[in-house]
Amino acid sequence: MATELKRDAGRVLYLYGITESLPARSASAEVLGVDQKSAVEPMECESVVCWISRVSAEEFEKDLNKNMENLEWLAMASVAHQRALSAIRTQAEVLPARFGTVFRNLSSLRKHVRAGLREFQKDFKRLKDADEWGVKVFALPPAAKIASPAAASGRAYLMARAALVPRNDSRPQTDRELEEFSRELERVAEETAAVGKISGGQRGLTFQRSLLVKRANRPHMESVLRKFSERWADTRKIECTGPWPPYSFVSAKAESAGSE
Amino acid sequence: MSTGSGAVVFTDQSGGDQLSLVDILDHVLNQGIMIRGNLVISLAGVDLVYVGLDMILTSIETAMRHMNPPAPLAKK
Repeated sequence: MATELKRDAGRVLYLYGITESLPARSASAEVLGVDQKSAVEPMECESVVCWISRVSAEEFEKDLNKNMENLEWLAMASVAHQRALSAIRTQAEVLPARFGTVFRNLSSLRKHVRAGLREFQKDFKRLKDADEWGVKVFALPPAAKIASPAAASGRAYLMARAALVPRNDSRPQTDRELEEFSRELERVAEETAAVGKISGGQRGLTFQRSLLVKRANRPHMESVLRKFSERWADTRKIECTGPWPPYSFVSAKAESAGSE
Repeated sequence: MSTGSGAVVFTDQSGGDQLSLVDILDHVLNQGIMIRGNLVISLAGVDLVYVGLDMILTSIETAMRHMNPPAPLAKK
């Protein structure tokens, strides 16, 4: 019992994000928290709902910076954080909190949420019915074109051979094409943002943006991607991931006006 | 949903597709609301971590691509 009390005393509140109201059905039972042990709980807080887990203070407060440098820990926690937000997002529009936002107690959480309320309301309005999507363009290495055409059948072999024949319409692909791609995406997106602090060094990566796209505009986004993927079939590959909670589009500093 | 059309690859997490670790970290660690205060622990040092992670994750990503069916990125 004494151990139990001690452990409870050593908990902090890990914040995943904020929704405008409590959904009819709670995600809490369906997904585990960032530590892969605790529940994800909705908690009414001022006029909004904060989604939190009660996690170990040692792991998420005292050792947080050290843990962030441990790739294995960071990978597990980031995936769990994303899973929790993904579950919340299926029920309500959520403003994701920055990874690793921890409060020592409920009164601290309330105080800071209260200070950010006006900003949150603006974000809820701006981000309504929209998702974040990640778009990357990779230059296909020439090596891929001369890969050995090992094929299971004669037909497949011939098709593979045919694919190796250089095309006559080898127009130079200048950055203008990427600029045009970028402009077309901007037309279907509400906003765009830089992303790629982690994957920026991926081999062949020539373009990377996050898009905020209204759900109704998703087919338009997909048709732009398809159009360019056909145009670039042999030279570039487009990857699109999502829908993500709007990590890159929430106001970064809810209290920036009041601090420092 | 996962559709290969031309050279576009869609990874839609709502359809149960697997997102790569690198993409998850990219988005999860990109921004988010930063609620500040003296009792809040936020990630002041995170940008420094990114630098080292970049290289490690790129090699993990490459390894993952080699293990999974989508076309591997050719190494020099």
